[in-house]
Order: sequence, then C-alpha cells, then structure tokens
Amino acid sequence: MPKDKLKIGIYELTGCAGDALLIVDCEEELVNIFTAASIEAFLMAKSDNRHGELDVALVEGSVSTEKEKEELLDIRKRARVVVAIGGCACVGGPQAAFLDKKEWEKNLKKVYGNIEFSHSRPLQSKPIDAYIKVDCYLPGCPIGKAQFLSTFARMVNGNPPELFRFPVCVECKWHENDCLLNKDILCLGPLTLAGCGSVCPNFNVPCFGCWGPTEEANRTSEYYLLREKGFDTEVIKNRMANYSGTRITEFFEQFRKEKR
Amino acid sequence: MNGEHKCLAETNPFTPHPARIVRSYHLTKDVKFFQVRFVDMEEALRFDYKPGQFAMLSILGAGEAPFCISSTPSRPGLLEFCIRKMGTVTSALFELKENSFIGLRGPYGNGFPVEEMRDKDILIIEGGMGVAPLRSVLLYSLDNRDQFGRVAVLYGSKRPSEMIFSEEYFALKGRNDLECHLAVDADDTGKWTENIGVVTTLFRHLKKVDPENTFALVCGPPVMYKFVIKELIKLNIPKDQILMTLERRMKCGVGKCGHCAIDYIYTCLDGPVFNYWDVLHMRELI
Amino acid sequence: MRILKLQKKDLFPLLKVISREAELWAPTAKGDKFAYGRVLDFSRIAMDAVRTIIPPKKIMVPSLFNMFNFTEKGYQEDLSHVTDRILFGIHPCDIHGLLILDKLFSQAYLDPYYLEPRKKTLILGLSCLPDAYCFCKSTHTDIIEEGYDLFFTDLESYFLVWIGSSRGDDLIRLAPDFFDDKLTEKDIQTYTKWQEKRDNAFKTTVNFTRMPDLMELNYKAPFWEEVGAACLACGSCSMVCPTCNCYNVVDKLFLGNKPGKRLRHWDSCTLPEYSEVAGGENFREHKSQRLKLWYTHKLQAYVSKYGKPSCVGCGRCLVTCPVQIHVKSVADALEGHPVEAFWKKFAQEVSK
Repeated sequence: MPKDKLKIGIYELTGCAGDALLIVDCEEELVNIFTAASIEAFLMAKSDNRHGELDVALVEGSVSTEKEKEELLDIRKRARVVVAIGGCACVGGPQAAFLDKKEWEKNLKKVYGNIEFSHSRPLQSKPIDAYIKVDCYLPGCPIGKAQFLSTFARMVNGNPPELFRFPVCVECKWHENDCLLNKDILCLGPLTLAGCGSVCPNFNVPCFGCWGPTEEANRTSEYYLLREKGFDTEVIKNRMANYSGTRITEFFEQFRKEKR
Repeated sequence: MNGEHKCLAETNPFTPHPARIVRSYHLTKDVKFFQVRFVDMEEALRFDYKPGQFAMLSILGAGEAPFCISSTPSRPGLLEFCIRKMGTVTSALFELKENSFIGLRGPYGNGFPVEEMRDKDILIIEGGMGVAPLRSVLLYSLDNRDQFGRVAVLYGSKRPSEMIFSEEYFALKGRNDLECHLAVDADDTGKWTENIGVVTTLFRHLKKVDPENTFALVCGPPVMYKFVIKELIKLNIPKDQILMTLERRMKCGVGKCGHCAIDYIYTCLDGPVFNYWDVLHMRELI
Repeated sequence: MRILKLQKKDLFPLLKVISREAELWAPTAKGDKFAYGRVLDFSRIAMDAVRTIIPPKKIMVPSLFNMFNFTEKGYQEDLSHVTDRILFGIHPCDIHGLLILDKLFSQAYLDPYYLEPRKKTLILGLSCLPDAYCFCKSTHTDIIEEGYDLFFTDLESYFLVWIGSSRGDDLIRLAPDFFDDKLTEKDIQTYTKWQEKRDNAFKTTVNFTRMPDLMELNYKAPFWEEVGAACLACGSCSMVCPTCNCYNVVDKLFLGNKPGKRLRHWDSCTLPEYSEVAGGENFREHKSQRLKLWYTHKLQAYVSKYGKPSCVGCGRCLVTCPVQIHVKSVADALEGHPVEAFWKKFAQEVSK
C-alpha cells in the first residue's frame, strides 16, 4: 500500500457535470474521500486548485472544443493514471451520438450559422480516448455511488477497479426479475453494461442503456428481435443511440458497409 | 436442525493462508522472481507439492490469481514463483516490498507424474515464461539426479534481455550430467554466444534420443506447441509421454468456479499437465 | 420407505409446527411468474407454481455474497448466508438439479459456501403437472428417488407424503397426529391415475441418449455460427439453469479503514470475459465457441463423467432466452430437425 496520499484531480469537460455532482453528493463518505487522497483539483468542490503532477486524474465529459482537447492532453501528461468517468468521457455521450457522421457539421451550421468562433474552435464531440490513452472507464450517466466509491477505494489502494463487463441482464437475473424483452417491452439490458444493480428492471422499468454499451453489444440481433416484436425502426435506433455515443456511429457505419 | 454448526476455518479450501515475501527481484524487465514463506510453519509443512502444481496467491485488495510453482519440493521451506506483469494481481504483486503480507493456498493441479518418470530420460523444451513451471521439474530432477536417466533442456527466449533465469541456465551448461541448449530468436546485444533461432532449431543439437524411454516436457507460448510437437513426433516419442502444462483462467483452483473447464475436465483438477493424446482428444486444449 | 396420508386442511398447521426452528422457504408469486422466498404467511405459498424464475440454487449459493472479510491481518471467512431452512414446494427436476450441484461442489474439494447451507436445508418436495415447456420426462428427472426429506404428492383433497430421510421422519414426529398411515386400495388407484395423467401431459421431448454423439458429430456444424450470431450474450441461460454452477470472484474495498470483502457472484460461460486470461488472451472469443461449451457441458461432457445429462428438463432456458437459444432448439438443430426459434429466423433474415 502506498505510504503517501495519492494525488487525485477531478476534471470536467463537456457534459452536465452530473458525475462531479455525484461525487460531491457522496455525503457520508466525503470525509473519507478527502482523507484517503489529496484532492489536488476539483472545480466543483474547492477553490485553490493545483495543476501539478497527479497519480490519478478522473475526467468527466467529452471533448468538444480545441481548448478542451489541449486541457485533456495536459492532464494526460501530468497524470500517471487517467480514469474516464461517466458516459460522456467513456463513449462521448449524446452529443457524440450521430447515426451518420456528416450530421454534426450540418447541425453546427444550422445552430450557429456562419459565425467565426473566437474563443475556441468547436470539434465534433468525442470520448476522451479519441485523444489520449485511458487506463480505466467508470461508466454510467451519471456514474453510480457504490461503483464510484469502490473504484475510488481500489485506486487509493493502488489497484485498478474491477468492474462488471457483462450486461445488465446478469444483474437483472440476480434480482430474479422476469425478462422484460420477453414481455415485448423495449429493454436495452442485453446491450448495456451492468454495475447499476439492474435498478430499473427491478421496478419493472426497462433498461434505457444509461451505463453505456458493453464491448460485445449485439445490436443487430436485438434490433431484429425488436422489429419482430413490432417496434418501429426509428424508435429502436434512437433508443440504442441515446447513451452509446460514438459507438453507435461506428456501428451504423459498419452496418451500412456490411449491407452494401 | 442438524446439530451444531462446525467452524470451517480450517477446512475451507478457499482460505488464503498468511505468507510473506522473503525476497523478490527482477529477472527481466517485466518478469520478477518471488520467494515466499508461510507465516505458520505447520501450514508450510502441510503444503506438500509436486513439480508442475500451482498455487493461488492473494494480494490484499487486488485479488487472487493462479501461479505455477517454480521451486522444487526437494528444497523445502521456501516457495518460489516466477511472474510476469500481466494484469491487476501481478501489477499489485510487483509493487510489494520484501516482508509484505500475501495470502497463499494450494497446492493444486495434477503436476508432473514424477513417479512414472523415474529412471526415464527427460527432455525439457521451453520458451519464454514456459520456464516458470518447468524449472520446478528441472531442479527436482537435478536434486534427485540418480532417479532419472539423461536430462536435456532446450530453452528459447526472444532476446538475451528477455531470457529468464539466464544465470541459472548458463551455470547448467557447465554441468556434465545434463545437456543444455539455449537460443534466442534475435540477438540485439551482439554478445550472445549461444544459438540464434526459434527453440525448434535446437533439436539438431540433441545427442541421441531414446524415444520409448523419454518423457518430453513442453511449455511456452501457444504458437510454440505445434512446431515442438511436430519435432517430438518425428523423434518417435510416444504421444502419452509428451507432456505439456497449460494456462487457463481460474478463480478457484479447486474445480468449482468453472472457468478452466474444457469438455468434461477442469484444468485445475485434471491438469494443468496434459499429454499430447489428451490434446488430440480434447479439441479446445491448445 | 414409509408413505403417509395428509389431509389438505392440515398442511398449513403442519408447516406451522415444523417451521418453528427453521426459516420456511417456498415458491411465491412474482408478477405472473414465481420466485422462492421466505414465507411467514403460508397463504402466499404458490402451490401451483410450475417453475420459479431462478432455481433453488440461489438459496444455497446466493447470486452475490461475501466469502471473506480481509484486513492486513488476513482473511476471515464469512458464512453468514448459512442458516437453517425448510424448502417446501420444490419439484423433482429442481431436486435433481441440487443433486447435480452436490456432485460439482463436493468433487475433490468441499465447497463450504454451498455445502453448509445445503446440509442445513430440509427438502420438502411437491409433485407437479408439466406445462408446455417441461421436459423432465426426457431427462428422467420427472420422478425422484433420493435427495428429499419429505415428498408431497398432491392428490386433490389430500397428499401422499413420502418420507425420504431420517430427518424427514423427525419432522413427521413433530406432528404425528396430522398423518394417517393406513392407505386404502382407492388411494393407490387415485395415485396411479394421477401418475398416468401426469405422464401423458408432457408436450416437449428431447432425445438425450443421442446427444453426446450428435454433439461430437456436429462440432463444426454451421448452425453454431447461427446461434452465435443471434446470441445476446446476456448470460440469462446460465443464471436460470439449475445445474449452472460457475462463479467469479472480485475483491471489493471500502474507504475509512473498513475491512475489504472478497465477493463471489454467479458467472456464465456465455459472457465474453469468461475464458479471458490476464494480458487479454481469450480462449473463447466468439459467442459460438462459448455456446458450444455451454451445450457440451449440458448434453455431452457430464454424460461422459456421470452417465446422464447435466440438464433436468425444467424448461427455464426455454422460457428465458429472448432469442430462443435453448436445450430444445439446439437439440432440434443437432438432430437435423427444422428449428422454430428466433435465432433461426434471424440467420435467414441476416443472410438476405
């Protein structure tokens, strides 16, 4: 176990700051969080933020401007370990989810017209691993308290987190829920990372995919399955895209290629 | 309802027993050597192992993983492990200082059939991390030299800097009671005095092989097996005397967690040592 | 073997007497399905439950539990899930499931986390009538000869109660007045009729004797790619299977000097990381390989070791898999019969 306190920085790029907020919301553990590590930078929780060397940087949000890209590259240089926290940092968030690659440029023009960007040039939103090497990913929109705390505790001890890589369905069955897909309900459990404790299906609410997609998410099979159950193509596509960020863009690109 | 509840602490096969790292040092850039001793001497005496068996090491907070034992039971007291930094548990292990606490349980697996191998010739073919399990049986056969026939070692590494236990193996070359042939795939130092080429190129240096009387022991990276086995078959070594030790994911070591299952066998119980016939018989083995 | 008669009205009073010293667990309604749960109010017991969503293995090894608390001083075992229980309403297939798990969890090394709760659980079996998905007659697990303490056969107005163990006999002795040991000719006729009715009620059959050979012969059959392509890798088939025993172990830490926990949770060989070793090498990267392992275990491997399949015909995979990859559809594919399942339609749809 390390003798000195780990130096940890918490950073926010483009996102709703929900993950940083969740950390601040860990009220009963806040003292332990600040005792276990030296929190060097955490804009939401403290002033006098230092920008020196770090053991661990927790980065929330996607990269959406040139300036954020530079900040991220700087964080990477200073930090031994970089952890992406939340859906935006992990996969890009809704701002990165386009069913078609060219959509972003069209949308930018539609919203901003032909203005000059003086502050910082906008970039198509991307997850942080589009620019830097990420050591681990803490998914969720926002991240979950229990999962954050156990990840934090492991990191303070010098170990990477051991997160579930399997889909929500596994946890859902641990809770002995009846399968919602089998009841013809649009549930994204099979495509979505576990770790939430299948909190929605436990209350008969289908999984909306907020923990982001699993590595092996079989969208094609689930798509056909949902089509067979009578769901509309657009409804399925949009639901799958919500929390999938750039993964859905990549998926549709691949899908179109295969169909051709 | 069925009588008193017995305390299981002593019989729980999953309990990691306290042990300490006595010594550790780098063998290569990403491979480290560890000497480990049980805190409780009785536990040390109970730990009666065979070459080729493995143990489960627990690193506080990082987790538990299987590691083959690199020491020989003929030198009791300390257990030795040769470990490459690969994942969470090994990374944490690499950070540990000497005298650090670890958990240890075992020994597990079948190990090499040393009783059957008695009076037979032993031919060891190893590549890279393959030395980790085979060092145990090599040291065992040297410590009990009179119990075995001829002993020969063919050992291949990628580069001189990646050769594990290089001092030990160069020292073996000086002995006249065994054959030891070393090779590297490529020499980036310009100082390598031994063979250059993959491990199979060492076969031509072997003195006469008496196939019926030989046990061939193979361990190395997955790509190695196919080519080595081809050579061994050419030498007419019977399929059930070609032994190899395999790696699988394991979470329990005692045939419960299922991860190491192949067909109807568990690598942790029925392996990790298999013969070539097992491999032909069970498709997924290598 | 002793067989006694128990009037239906006496069941709850009996349960009340025998559950004084142990928790009573039984199937209860969960939505339009059933789940085993602790029962304090006997009227909640679902006497008509054909199958629960999760088999009773969850009572022995919970889906997620702590094996050890650990500190820098060492590992302290945690067997807090072990308690005295009476499991009422378990059907023959699930009792067979437990018998199979008994073998797995006691071969070579004894697993106390399974065996201790198992030893402390009394098994009070209950007869059942099959629905369209039951195929326990094909697996010869429709009747039970061992593995129960008491077995209740439901003959409409009364039960025939089989006493299967000395501990079962102890239970009877707690309330002997409820039982009648005089069986009449009519009772035997009623029982025989009930048996006939049950035997004829099965709709699903699988020819298990042919499976080991067919698995071997079909090792490279193209349908494995089809099931692999449709499989959602959701792991549900393993979670609901009474004979799936696989688990994973993770170490969890807490802030503020609290001891760590070594957690054990159910795992499935259909999940991508199942056979992945440190460093990322995966021995079963493709879903078709993983499914093949699942079916090798159920239909072939266990047969070579113990002479019977590791399937008890409970029908849970049939009602659970969203894409209908289950023992029946795979067996049909192995036999070369036409397969009516989503995965087959999916294969045809995608190849268009």
